Amino acid sequence: MSERRLPVYILVDTSGSMRGEPIHSLNVGLKAMEQALRRDPFALDTVHLSLITFDLEARELFPLTPLDAVRIPEIEVPSSGATFLGAALDLLVQRVDRDVRRGSETQHGDWRPMVFVMTDGAPSDTQAYKEATAAVKQRDFARIVACAAGPKARVEALRELTDTVVSLDTLDGAMFAQFFQWVSGSIAAGGRSGPDAGDALPALPSELRIAI
Amino acid sequence: MNDIIELKTWQGEAVAFEDAVIGSGAMKDVCFSPDRSYVIGFFREPQGAATRERLRVICEDYRAGIFGQVGGDYWRDLLCWPSGVVEYQGRVGVVVPVYAPQFFFEYGSANNDMLGIKGREKEGKWFASANNQARFLDPRERGHWLNYLLICTRIARAVRRMHAAGLAHSDLSYKNVLVDPRSGSACIIDLDGLVVPGKYPPDVVGTPDFIAPEVVMTAHLPHASPERKLPSIATDRHALAVLIYMYLLYRHPLRGCKVHDPDPSCDEALAMGERALFVEHPQDPSNRICVADARPSELPWCDTQRMPYTLTGPYLTPLFERAFTAGLHDPRLRPSAEDWEFALVRTADLSLPCANRGCIQGWFVFDNRRVPSCPFCGTPYPWPLPLLNFYSSRHGDSFRPDDQRLMVYTGQSLFEWHVNRYLAPNERLTQAQQARVGYFELRQGTWWLVNERLPQCRDLSAGRDVAVGERVALRDGLQLLLSREAGGRLALVQMAGAA
Repeated sequence: MSERRLPVYILVDTSGSMRGEPIHSLNVGLKAMEQALRRDPFALDTVHLSLITFDLEARELFPLTPLDAVRIPEIEVPSSGATFLGAALDLLVQRVDRDVRRGSETQHGDWRPMVFVMTDGAPSDTQAYKEATAAVKQRDFARIVACAAGPKARVEALRELTDTVVSLDTLDGAMFAQFFQWVSGSIAAGGRSGPDAGDALPALPSELRIAI
Repeated sequence: MNDIIELKTWQGEAVAFEDAVIGSGAMKDVCFSPDRSYVIGFFREPQGAATRERLRVICEDYRAGIFGQVGGDYWRDLLCWPSGVVEYQGRVGVVVPVYAPQFFFEYGSANNDMLGIKGREKEGKWFASANNQARFLDPRERGHWLNYLLICTRIARAVRRMHAAGLAHSDLSYKNVLVDPRSGSACIIDLDGLVVPGKYPPDVVGTPDFIAPEVVMTAHLPHASPERKLPSIATDRHALAVLIYMYLLYRHPLRGCKVHDPDPSCDEALAMGERALFVEHPQDPSNRICVADARPSELPWCDTQRMPYTLTGPYLTPLFERAFTAGLHDPRLRPSAEDWEFALVRTADLSLPCANRGCIQGWFVFDNRRVPSCPFCGTPYPWPLPLLNFYSSRHGDSFRPDDQRLMVYTGQSLFEWHVNRYLAPNERLTQAQQARVGYFELRQGTWWLVNERLPQCRDLSAGRDVAVGERVALRDGLQLLLSREAGGRLALVQMAGAA
């Protein structure tokens, strides 16, 4: 068989509050992550990446794509807009159901997928968010990491989605760079070992905190 | 400018490091020395007494045992051995030499280094994957197949040396072996995880793809459980066999089409553990690689019909069979590192340059056919091919075959280890024994052996001595005595190839 695929979904907040420096920093961070992953021979052989953005609606910027074919586009932000994280998770669940290969008698399944969610606020579609988190929990993800970026991000809301919530104090370039460096480290570690071989995440950079 | 911190190793040597992390591994943060001749890798987590003691004996007793003997310098290129242990602000650090320059990419990836890997370490995974080889590496980084044989030889030799000292690497994988296919060199790194006899073993299971089935099967048990199988010399032997298979055939020996469980984690654990099955098992075809499912970049390597393991020749074939059939689930039957080294050395002598200049592999193993052809590109060997079959005397005048052959082609040489069966090309050779004793040349359609340093060489067929400086024409059936000393050999010439 070919190497088992490792599906990785990245969900990023493009609500109005991300305008200006935050979205610029985010773009730089995503680009750096793409480059770091492409330098890793394990990730190149296994990782398939998809990027979903969410503001007033959820958009799949690109579906699950082999890493070497991924070109992360410059992400733009509308002038204003809500944070429809529920819609984004709903789209995620649809895509996982459609694209992740399950094992069968004759076909090896993909690794269980990894999800990284980054938001600087709180979900505005609270009912949809509630339903979507329930749907997410019914799926079999290897790892869900939520990143609460900046002072307005609501950690408690993200706790409903996952136990692993990372807080960034500010929305500047250095913070994003470190966060995405950490994300690429996590993905690469999954590519080396399968995402569930050992539950250890790579060591966190010293400037990030795991929210308590 | 970073601060420079000076300290002394437990071994009493003065060392220093720049206070800036240049890279981080799974367990350690790495800092450069000011002169960049070594690095210090600091464990992020506090290390207990057992680990400290283990690191100390690796850097002292075992280091002295391997490097302190005659020929010890040989291992500096093959084993990146820690030279000392330090402690700074409560963190334990290991002092390790920097890697040699050939282990960093000069060109990197294809299309003007599209991936941006120039200058980075040549981690083995780049070369052990058909997909990475075909799609990403710059062709100038790929090297030819004879160099992969050399790489495997050096890895096997280094592992043999560690095992001879009673040490197991415990995490042998393409992650912990740097290779350079351009020169055929290899170096084993991350030696601070060695399993030392009588010391508490390190808490590693190894790298997926390389973990022995018995370790995978018992990984769920507590570390101290008597049923739990921990990394050992026997598990190193499994990892070594996988490594060699992957460097020569660019595919994994156990990853076939057989699905053991719909859940990927269970499937993986069974495929690498309890139900591990060789994809080319001679009797059980149920785990063959499904060519239809393969990515185009993995072809032809994942087509085991086209690229069977038997193309590695008569010495390696039985070892692969032992390692991946009976030895897969019975560690006692696995070939040793010495077995692999021996077979690889003989396979290199049995290799031929491919006549097709465009052949990516460039070399192949002679298959005992009158007109051999390259299994990689299909090109027949278009030239006359003399081959020397070696015999040696056990007592008196009776010479018996040594199951060793040397292919003759332009640029081929004869060495002491061909002339005497007691010698092998390894760390024990003296400088004098490393120099060639003769060479071959093609003149006006005839192949000649030119005697440079064989004082007792005699053409037995013609009944005349071949003095140093003279040459002898190679012809079918020629019997050439190369040495009269103990272990001295006789070569019987066969002529194959195009007439």
